[in-house]
Amino acid sequence: MQKNALHILLADDDEDDRLFFKDAFEEVKVQTKVEFVFDGLQLMEHLMNPDTKLPDILFLDLNMPKKTGKECLIEIKKTEHLKNLIIAIYSTSSSDEDIEDTFIEGANIYIKKPSDFNALKKIINEVITLNWHYHTSGLNRDNFLLSLK
Amino acid sequence: MKLFIKFDINTICTLYLKEKLEEQNLNFSTLGFGEIELEDNLSIEALDKLKNNLEPFGFEVVENQKSVLVQKIKDAIIELVYTDDNNNYKSSAYLADKLNHSYGYLSNVFSEVTYSSIENFIIIQKIERAKQLMIVNEMSLTEIAFLLNYSSVAHLSTQFKNTTGITPSAFLRIIKKRRENLK
Amino acid sequence: MKWIPKFNSSNYLRVIFIIAIFILLFLSSIAYKHNRDLNESSKLLMHTYEINIELERLISAIKDAETGQRGYMITRNHRFLTPYLFSRDKVNTSFIALKKLTADNPEQKKNLEKIYKLIIQRYISFENCLKYSAPETYDKRKLDNHMFGGRILMENIRFKVDEMNDIEKTFLNKSLKKYDQEISLGPILSISLFLVALIFIFLAYRKISRDLERLKIYNKKLLISSGLMAESEAIGKFSTWQWDLDTDKIDYSDNQFRLLGFLPNSFVPNKDSFINFVHPEDKDIIAASIEGIINNKELPFTYYKIILPNNEIRHFKSTGKLLVDQNGSNILLGINFDITDEHLLNIKLQERNNELEKSNKELASFNHVASHDLQEPLRKIQTFISRISEADKAVLSDSAKEYIIKVETSAKRMRVLIDDLLLFSRTNTTKKEFVKSNLNELLENAKSELAVIIDEKKGNLKVTAKLPKLEVIPYQIEQLFINLIGNSLKYSKPQTAPQITINCEEVLSNEYPEIMEQPFKKFYKITFTDNGMGFDPQFKDNIFVLFQRLHSKTDYPGTGIGLAICKKIVENHKGHIIADSEPGKGSVFTVFLPE
Repeated sequence: MQKNALHILLADDDEDDRLFFKDAFEEVKVQTKVEFVFDGLQLMEHLMNPDTKLPDILFLDLNMPKKTGKECLIEIKKTEHLKNLIIAIYSTSSSDEDIEDTFIEGANIYIKKPSDFNALKKIINEVITLNWHYHTSGLNRDNFLLSLK
Repeated sequence: MKLFIKFDINTICTLYLKEKLEEQNLNFSTLGFGEIELEDNLSIEALDKLKNNLEPFGFEVVENQKSVLVQKIKDAIIELVYTDDNNNYKSSAYLADKLNHSYGYLSNVFSEVTYSSIENFIIIQKIERAKQLMIVNEMSLTEIAFLLNYSSVAHLSTQFKNTTGITPSAFLRIIKKRRENLK
Repeated sequence: MKWIPKFNSSNYLRVIFIIAIFILLFLSSIAYKHNRDLNESSKLLMHTYEINIELERLISAIKDAETGQRGYMITRNHRFLTPYLFSRDKVNTSFIALKKLTADNPEQKKNLEKIYKLIIQRYISFENCLKYSAPETYDKRKLDNHMFGGRILMENIRFKVDEMNDIEKTFLNKSLKKYDQEISLGPILSISLFLVALIFIFLAYRKISRDLERLKIYNKKLLISSGLMAESEAIGKFSTWQWDLDTDKIDYSDNQFRLLGFLPNSFVPNKDSFINFVHPEDKDIIAASIEGIINNKELPFTYYKIILPNNEIRHFKSTGKLLVDQNGSNILLGINFDITDEHLLNIKLQERNNELEKSNKELASFNHVASHDLQEPLRKIQTFISRISEADKAVLSDSAKEYIIKVETSAKRMRVLIDDLLLFSRTNTTKKEFVKSNLNELLENAKSELAVIIDEKKGNLKVTAKLPKLEVIPYQIEQLFINLIGNSLKYSKPQTAPQITINCEEVLSNEYPEIMEQPFKKFYKITFTDNGMGFDPQFKDNIFVLFQRLHSKTDYPGTGIGLAICKKIVENHKGHIIADSEPGKGSVFTVFLPE
């Protein structure tokens, strides 16, 4: 379905979570290329680098050292060449307020880190599918909001 | 000042595509949305050139026959969802009629290519339309449920929540606050 | 009409005194005139008598001359002629006197002239009689004629003198009568006027003595209240001062001196004396507020410290108000409060507050750790377990497989507990943003949240009355609905489709003792009635307590947090929640939300 591999970037300081994430993507049918950054500062450096190929979807942990995911989100949305990035918040919190807050700040997807590997795979599948639909079927990306918990 | 513009992506794309094709002096006729009949067979170089020309604008030459069919299915669904004739057309029958294939075949091809079902896609499209009606036309859920052939507001509401993970009211609240933030 | 109890009687008294003084002045002027009239009349009387006497003298002088002449004529003794010769002088003297006396009366003057002529004729007739009686020139007939003529002249003179006397007498009587009339009008008038003046003065006296009496009473009251004021100043640890802004005179109340650590009136305050007591840190504030008093004529609440002579630091609060009295002088009335005790108490309270805040924060962060951070390792445990594939499990021993299942179950239970705990702590800690929300929509959201379970249990939700639009925290109310409906679904009777009826009505707080003490009058009473298994009504309060469960966790998995969250949410909205039930028939949960 995709000419090139789907480019995924995950910003998460937790090693185990990165591992789950990587493994889950490997088992997803869609061809993907997954990259990682370990904290908010690194993420912003990476995104600001003009040589960086921007990801199709950025997965962003909220609770990160040095710079929180929310700070990154606000910064990204203020940066001209980044503000159209599809951003999926990937967090432990599932409070409706956190979800609404990040949506208001411009996130498209909110994922509560699941406690089941299969659930994670399912969620990733869902995200990729919907993202693809938004990309290929002329849907208004401003209205792209998805909350998975 | 902020303006909210409602646009028809199909018209824009068709216009744009025509412009690009004309740039390359190709003789063509458009058969429908996303399908072009070229009068001459193109060389591999000319085809690559066309692909490269169209790519920056998000156009992609679909080569695979199945992908073409999927695109036709999607177009048909979008047409169905955005037509407000309010008849209780069953989507499976509609697609089979329109595309001259059995629904089973269409369904298989669709999930093979997109990893999601036609039903799912219809729902996504309907919810997307509902979002648009909520925001642009400022319609109430009751009106939208009626327009999009939902049996009840609750049904629409539940489907909205299941598809997006958030309730329609939360969605509206978020979009409104985003706009306020932009100001 | 009621006499206004004010001491403005001075005007009244002034009027009385002026009237009295006028009356007295009038009376004394009358008396003076009376006196002068009396004097005039006695002078007039004297005048009349003098004229009378002088006229008598004149007559007697002529009679003397007549008598002397007769004697001479009879005796021819010259000695008899002496009175006759002197009479002329006497007549002349009387005449000059009379002339003087009658100078102001032309009629009398005329009469006098006539008398004078008559007297001259009489003397001529005397001369003739002497001549014709003399032996050498004796002529009986001529003598008789002249004697007779003299007799007539004499009578004429007498007549004229009587006439003059009469005129004088009439004039005297007339004048006396005039004075008599004037004076007779005086006594009655003056006596009555005198009485009036006396009454006025008496009235004034009465007024003054009454005012004096009242003044005494007020003085007494003033004395009491000023004593009370001084006492209350001492008890209430405040003092007053007055600053006459026009004369720059400052008065301290006794307690002001005491609050500053001095005996009353031990020094004379001026506008700079106070600042000497002020703590160096606050001198600027007080200097500024003194400026403020002078410029703006007001003293808003000011807080500062002062140092007593014994180096003790006291905390003061001052305020002042400008009073403009009847004379237009500006007096700033100030009050100083010694708020040291309150201040110290406040500091203590602040410390306690800080402690409380700290411990609250600790609790919140503990909650965060307990729920949020514990989630992470738990989630990993669960995820790792989920990654043990069927193939992996196949090579494990049966007991190991069972252990894994046990670990999984426990982890799941822990997940539920932590999720619920997090939810509970969030109902307390999250920002409480009240938004006008349509509760019907929130109920709809709750229903879609529970759609799967409702479907599973074939439940039926019926809303018999529309819910209102209220200022609420939308998430929380949604959570409340989810928990209440979820609770009914969970404790439904086996083999019976759950039937939940939601009703809403407006009620007044005084109809329900549970919400009577709330400061709101109108409430919405939302009831959730189900046909579930219900519970023993003796537990109807307990079920809202955190971790309280009425069922074993094997029968009904749960944490005992759900209804505690409901209670918390309703309390956050200043409402009230109650539950009632009939075991085996169903339960009713009633939520009261203020309008």
